[in-house]
Amino acid sequence: MSDAPRVGGTPGGGDASGGGAGPGPRGDWVAWLERRLNLTETFSFLTHFGLVWTPVDTSRPVREVVREVASQPVPAYARWPRVLGLLAAILFGLEVVTGVLLAYYYRPTPEAAFESTRTIVRDLPFGWFIHQLHGWGAWLLVIVVAARLLRLFWDGLYRAPREVLWWSAVAMAWLVLQSDFTGRLLTWDSRSYWAAVRGMEVVFALPVVGPLLAFLLGGRVINDDVLIRFYALHMLVLPAGFAFFLYLTFATLRRVGLSPEAPMHRGAATTLRDHLYSMLILSVLLFGVLTTLAVLAPFRFQAAADPYSTPTGVRPPWYMLAPYAVIENGPGPSWLLGLLLLAVAFAVLLLPLWAPRAAGGRVLGRMRLWGLFALAAWTALSVLGAFMERR
Amino acid sequence: MRRAPFVLLLLSAATAALAQPGSQRPATSPPPTASAAAGRCGVCHPSERVQFERSTHAQEEVRCVSCHGGDDRSLAQAVAHGAGFIGRPRRDDVPRLCSSCHSDEGKMRAYNLPVDQYALYQTSGHGRRLAKGDMQVAVCSDCHGAHDILPRSDPASRVFPLNIPRTCGRCHGGNASAAGRRGKPDDHREYLSSVHAHELFDRGNPRAPTCVSCHGVHGAAPPTVGDVDKVCGHCHTAERRYFTAGPHREGMIAAGLPECVSCHGHHDTSATQPQRLASLCATCHGGKSKQVTLGAKMWTEYQAAATQIEQAAALIERADAVPIQTDDYRARLEEARTYLREALPAAHAVHEETVTGLTTRARSVGAEVASEIYGNLGHLQSRKLVLVVFWFYVLLTVVVLRRFQSRAARKD
Repeated sequence: MSDAPRVGGTPGGGDASGGGAGPGPRGDWVAWLERRLNLTETFSFLTHFGLVWTPVDTSRPVREVVREVASQPVPAYARWPRVLGLLAAILFGLEVVTGVLLAYYYRPTPEAAFESTRTIVRDLPFGWFIHQLHGWGAWLLVIVVAARLLRLFWDGLYRAPREVLWWSAVAMAWLVLQSDFTGRLLTWDSRSYWAAVRGMEVVFALPVVGPLLAFLLGGRVINDDVLIRFYALHMLVLPAGFAFFLYLTFATLRRVGLSPEAPMHRGAATTLRDHLYSMLILSVLLFGVLTTLAVLAPFRFQAAADPYSTPTGVRPPWYMLAPYAVIENGPGPSWLLGLLLLAVAFAVLLLPLWAPRAAGGRVLGRMRLWGLFALAAWTALSVLGAFMERR
Repeated sequence: MRRAPFVLLLLSAATAALAQPGSQRPATSPPPTASAAAGRCGVCHPSERVQFERSTHAQEEVRCVSCHGGDDRSLAQAVAHGAGFIGRPRRDDVPRLCSSCHSDEGKMRAYNLPVDQYALYQTSGHGRRLAKGDMQVAVCSDCHGAHDILPRSDPASRVFPLNIPRTCGRCHGGNASAAGRRGKPDDHREYLSSVHAHELFDRGNPRAPTCVSCHGVHGAAPPTVGDVDKVCGHCHTAERRYFTAGPHREGMIAAGLPECVSCHGHHDTSATQPQRLASLCATCHGGKSKQVTLGAKMWTEYQAAATQIEQAAALIERADAVPIQTDDYRARLEEARTYLREALPAAHAVHEETVTGLTTRARSVGAEVASEIYGNLGHLQSRKLVLVVFWFYVLLTVVVLRRFQSRAARKD
């Protein structure tokens, strides 16, 4: 704290030295910049994303604020089970960066989609690496978001006052699945094309939602209209939605805290500085894991999509297998089954409204039992969907 | 020109009908113009008239009397079948009767039709036997029909390419009742089992050979020994080139064996079966002769090259799944396949160096492609080695960050 007075001198003073001298000794560029814009206000933007837990006085100089904030206690996000949310945020960042790089070369038309993807993967330096990182990152993101949802359910974190937390978790899971589904089609190879066709059959079987989506996505036939809509959804709408719910999650957390079961005095608290280092280490390790997956288990490159020849064993993506099994082989008309699926989806979303409010251990235990039962049923249906023949 | 007023009347009626949309259309459709050509013969011969009206002759103002003589303006039989009446032409008169128009250049020029059919027919097996008084052989009407003659381009015509095997098979098939055909092989059925018929009927290739492609059309006669390779070589040019360069042609002609068909079958020509190189030679040459050894060697060489090309093709599939740039490999493998394909016609020269020259080239190109793809795939393996170095740096970074972290913790 020895140099604090020098740096934090006069944030808004506008003294003579700032005029023509420019940045002098090392570190003075902060002071130089601070005379021109309110860095503290800019810094306070971070409070929206959970990195800073206290309100920030924007009239104070930024270095002072940062130093103070850095040593404040924060929940240890980088530890199990809270790490799932952090992992989702880091993976989302990775998907954004790799996605932007891929978008430089990708062309969303049926004629060029496959060719441009092949150019990226085959001919560009490290194109294969970016592509595999994007693919494996998405795969991990789906797992992480689903695991996070299970974890929130298991610990009963959908109960008051954390309803918004649950809703945004469900919304994030839904957005990630949609991003994965729309992203699969973009490569326009035979597998992705037919997986999209089967997946859309499931979606279009839903009453009300199906026709609405058919209208929004440009029809029931997977063609160039659908491709460009999927592209727009994949790279604009869905990431924007994910970022919004990320913000909403942290905004909720600052008000209600994450989990009452893990109070800070049990070694779960840390300082912000410490937390930032943990996050950096986590990112580096995650990058290492993704690189290993990309090199050792790369996604195979398929032939170009051909709407006139269906390869054998076409299935929707794995997370859609359960609804696929219900719609394709369930008893009763498909609109009724679709209605049932919609009801189940809304029941999960509105869990905080109908689940028992009591915080007792027995009530939570009963809910966990129901959850396990539902998970087992979902898994069984998925296995059925993976092996069944179409009607 | 008697029809001109009638046509004018029709035209004016049509214009009137178009001009007045509300007006009543003519109650009856106008009679087909062809009925004029049938004259009044159709009153007593209605089924012939119906057949004739569909024919191309009726459209070109050929009349019943053109072939049958008599007078088509009268309904009285004595007059109609009166002066100049021919009635049903004798079978041996039919070719001459048809040629009275079809050998007349003046009449045929407008239709761009050849006029040499009659001359050709007289040289054919059919024509020569007819001249000797064999009344069972085919005359014009047996293949073209009598009253319902259609142009060759009409799919309903008996002489449309796809219908020719059936037309010839009426006499040259198992059902033929002609006395001279008893005990002879069923040519029609044999043809249907051939690769030519498969190409014609199953793959719908109208250029696939039918009976007339090898035997001739109006001058139909079986090719003789010494001519067979010319007939087959009409399409199979490379095979013939190698065949005539080799020793087989001279030898077979001297021995009276028909070329091509002695090994490939007569009407039941099968698709290319290179594996027969290993066994076929023994049917004429001795089982342990050097010709049999040569055949086996050619087959082995061919097989080795084909295997090499298949292996390279599978590697290209693997490289595409990575993906690795394979356009160049594909082009080179296509070159190898061309060499290999050339090796099959080359085998007709029954000369070892001619075949192995091609198979060796095919094999070496295939091997070259395969080894280059192996090299590229091995290049991918080196990524795994880099991974070890990569993890070293990842762990180093983590260690450094941990130290920074713990130092920061001490400060706090």
